[in-house]
Amino acid sequence: MILPLLASLVISFIPGSQVKAIRNVSLGVSGLSAILSLVAFCTFQVDGGLQFETKWVWVESLGLNFHLGADGINIGIIFMGAVVSFAAVCCADDITYRFKEFYILLNIMIGGVLGAFASMDLFFFYFFHELALVPTFIMIGVWGRGQNRNYAAYKITLYLSLGALLALIGLIGVYVQAGADSFSIPDLIAKVKAQPINESAQQWIFPLLMFGFGILVSLWPFHTWAPLGYGTAPTATAMLHAGVLKKFGLYGLIRVAIPMAPIGAQFWLGILAWLALANLLFCGLVAVRQRDLNLLIGNSSVAHMGFIFLGIASLNIIGLTGAVLVMIAHGLLAALAFGVSGHLYQQNGSLDMSQMGGLLRKMPLAGTALLMAMMAGCGLPGFANFAGEITIFFAAWSAGFKVITVIAAWSALVVGGLYMLRAIRNILHGAQPDVWKKTRDSSPLPTTAFGLLLALLLVFGFAPGLLTKGIELEVKKIVYLVKPEINEAKQLSVVAK
Amino acid sequence: MELAAWLILLLPLISSGLIGIGAFRSKPVSAGFSIGAVTGSFLLSLVMVANVETLHTSVNWLAIEGLKFDIGLQIDTLSKLMLCVVTGIGSLIHIFSLGYMKDDRDFSRYFGFLSLFIFSMLGIVLADNFVMMFIFWELVGVSSYLLIGFWFEKPSAADAAKKAFLTNRVGDFGFLIGILMVWMLFQTVSFSELQLNDQKEGALILSGLAGFLIFCGAMGKSAQAPLHVWLPDAMEGPTPVSALIHAATMVAAGVYMLCRVFFLIQGTWAMEVIAWIGGVTALMAALMAVQQDDIKRILAYSTLSQLGYMVMVVGLGGDQDDHYLITGVAGTDAAMFHLTTHAFFKAMLFLGAGSVIYACHHEQDIWKMGGLRFRMPKTYWTFLIGTLALCGVPLFSGFFSKEAILVVAFKESMPLFLIAVVVAVLTTFYMTRLFIVAFTGDARSEHAMHAKESPNVMTLPLLFLAVPSVFAGYFNMHEPDPIILFASVIAVVFGALMARALYQNVDKDPLPAKLGIVAKAMNKRFWFDELYQWLIENVQENLARIADIADRWIISGLLVRGVHGSTELAGRLLRLAQTGNLQTYAFWFTAGLVAVLIFALS
Repeated sequence: MILPLLASLVISFIPGSQVKAIRNVSLGVSGLSAILSLVAFCTFQVDGGLQFETKWVWVESLGLNFHLGADGINIGIIFMGAVVSFAAVCCADDITYRFKEFYILLNIMIGGVLGAFASMDLFFFYFFHELALVPTFIMIGVWGRGQNRNYAAYKITLYLSLGALLALIGLIGVYVQAGADSFSIPDLIAKVKAQPINESAQQWIFPLLMFGFGILVSLWPFHTWAPLGYGTAPTATAMLHAGVLKKFGLYGLIRVAIPMAPIGAQFWLGILAWLALANLLFCGLVAVRQRDLNLLIGNSSVAHMGFIFLGIASLNIIGLTGAVLVMIAHGLLAALAFGVSGHLYQQNGSLDMSQMGGLLRKMPLAGTALLMAMMAGCGLPGFANFAGEITIFFAAWSAGFKVITVIAAWSALVVGGLYMLRAIRNILHGAQPDVWKKTRDSSPLPTTAFGLLLALLLVFGFAPGLLTKGIELEVKKIVYLVKPEINEAKQLSVVAK
Repeated sequence: MELAAWLILLLPLISSGLIGIGAFRSKPVSAGFSIGAVTGSFLLSLVMVANVETLHTSVNWLAIEGLKFDIGLQIDTLSKLMLCVVTGIGSLIHIFSLGYMKDDRDFSRYFGFLSLFIFSMLGIVLADNFVMMFIFWELVGVSSYLLIGFWFEKPSAADAAKKAFLTNRVGDFGFLIGILMVWMLFQTVSFSELQLNDQKEGALILSGLAGFLIFCGAMGKSAQAPLHVWLPDAMEGPTPVSALIHAATMVAAGVYMLCRVFFLIQGTWAMEVIAWIGGVTALMAALMAVQQDDIKRILAYSTLSQLGYMVMVVGLGGDQDDHYLITGVAGTDAAMFHLTTHAFFKAMLFLGAGSVIYACHHEQDIWKMGGLRFRMPKTYWTFLIGTLALCGVPLFSGFFSKEAILVVAFKESMPLFLIAVVVAVLTTFYMTRLFIVAFTGDARSEHAMHAKESPNVMTLPLLFLAVPSVFAGYFNMHEPDPIILFASVIAVVFGALMARALYQNVDKDPLPAKLGIVAKAMNKRFWFDELYQWLIENVQENLARIADIADRWIISGLLVRGVHGSTELAGRLLRLAQTGNLQTYAFWFTAGLVAVLIFALS
């Protein structure tokens, strides 16, 4: 997990003219970390709790430790993150100037992303996220597309900094209010379990965290940075940010916000459910109107965040498990979609869908990848997204959000189908306009990346149990923390038997 | 045996996977895999019929505390019958495609999609719980999308595929909510468990609603009004696909599903709704068929109309008795019976139409055909058998199954019985019209003049299908009721004579002149498509437009620029503080220090 950071160091010593060497080092390193994470994922003991721990004491007096580890929730996310990172490097061949700087930043970003999800220490959890976030801004500003890139970089910086700031205040609030002497997340959870943070403090800590993290994940109505940012970001950046980094806020909600402020959560999650619905329906409708492919994918990705929020808002075992499942599935999907759209952009410098058509014939590989991504995006069974989405529907229904579930199902099945199929119809089907006559199919490396992402989507779609078993065990602990009565009732029924 | 059952389901998936991975490079290998898989499934289904009474096996797909989704196979009389229909007709259609798609450059892709479709369909047939059914329901939706849009470069085909998928999605939406309601009422989605605890008191209104919502799924797949609009457009796919999807399998899925979960809707108010929707669809579609000129579209509307029959009779219910061999209930038994016979003769009619279209160089307008009788004898004779069966001429298979439906309708509801008889008249009328215009008289175009009989690989499946089209009625025959017998024979004779009087030796349709606006309404399908188009353009698009504008101007504009503005304001204010004057800084520094000290000490 630390490898990419080392790589960025190495790259900064390679002269900028050695383009190939830089790219190969990045490829090798991200490939290696993807393989290592696969090994970790396969050797992970489902019921073993926290594993692969690394712990170095840093600042003892403050209880700051460099503490990495994986449990049922983040092992899948780390694996997904490592694979997406590799895919992002594969698809980064659209960079034509300032190679060295780009790859240094890219590797820092990858390191930060993976670090954030692996950290078991609140400080590093936040630190790594910031480490990944800053390169994002720079990459959009410097290597971004089109005239709009400065505005986009500015907007995304503004929003995400604001979100991060709110979350930071919330986190400091947690630390102070819990009277903690350690930043370690497990220690903190143990602490608040023994002695909860007082109720009124929870009432302000949770919304801070919820909106802080929420802005990072493009919670409605703080979402407008996302489509614009992704529309202008270079391919690899969009893949990494939309795929992995964005999930940080959701991860924070599950990992920190809910366990730390369970009473605040129960009150505020009702509101979150409605905002989630707004994400799903509103952004779905906005996506219908888009003519630019990247804006469409961006908006649909914002809409998909609604599922995850809804799962979290259900606050039951099914919902949280489904939420983590969709996080992983959407990470793979978003990377795939932005990867393919990046390839299309590279061909013609435009993603205006009204000018496209018939590309399935011209580029069977990239076209098929896009087709499958769109299908996964509208929740087709067989892909991991479906498994997560249907789980979340059941969860939200059983949590009592019936109206929300009905409208969410409409947004997912009909509105989602509408914009995805329109995109396919405009881009892949129909006649081929002249401007797209000279285009080429994707080269082997990006094709491998697409294939890899698709394969994982299918594997987790056919066997979601690979992920859910581990997630469920960890999520249970959180749900029992919030609703102790469930646990007691269950133990009673076991005793009765 | 369990292995065999799994193989029935998995063979087509394996075939489609292999074609997708690499076999697509070779046309014969792809076709071989695909045909091998479907005939393999067919043979195994026959083995099931011969050796297995009932069988139930399942593996877990997803389990989270309080939620358990299995992938399970349920083999009983109902699914065995359906298995044979799907794989049997599927096999013949695969073989027919060998000839029909011979020159297509995407031959391999076609067979890959066919296998995927068969896999999805078999999943519906074998499903033992609602969630699995929903999964395969969606998969059938997407594989039909791929097949209808197979010639994706043709705009009309691409649009038709999109329309089919989206219309189905609307139905699926209801289906999903229905499943959620069932789960809420009974805490399970498994059919067998539902059957055990289906007597819940006080839940009748809710379970009626659940039943209706589940029926929405069937409304989409089986193309019942008002979700029928996708089916005629779906004729844009290759003709064997029309035969497969729109005669034998996909559209039958809705009726099959209703029969499968009949115990849930039985006795609720949903029944009445289902019966009437079925009846109305049957009548409306038959009227539309009367004024269509495209050979495949006539058959498509006829399919709609016959599906309406089946749905209607499911909704009517009828008495329970063990001598109803398939399901034990008169209504569903009749529905499944008609589904089976209809699958045979409708598949044959579609393939026959395919053969005609192939011979006339992809001409589909019946007014540009004519006189095909002597040029294509095999197609002619099989088409004749199909027509007779569809019209319900005594001794042909369609006669027995249609009569079973009429018997139930006669007992349960007089108005629906009358509708059913009118539909029978109309059926004979439009089929006789099609037959006379296309096959008899003189050739009305160059292509029809030079039409030649299709190759054996296409006519043999026709001949194979002709056998069950004639005889399939005998396996489930009941004692005929004299009134019904009389009514159905009169209907056939009346319809045929009318069509003969109007269409013998004419060059263009005389009906529009006689009926005026009514004929126009039939031809324009009662303007359903226009209505939906209008709704989509004015409601859906406007909603999206409003959302987009709000997004762009209100949320993005006000909020972002608001933040921007306030930041700038703060910046200006702060600039006031940065005077560059050392004394001012010293003052603020001391003030801050004091503030911190006060805070720390208090």
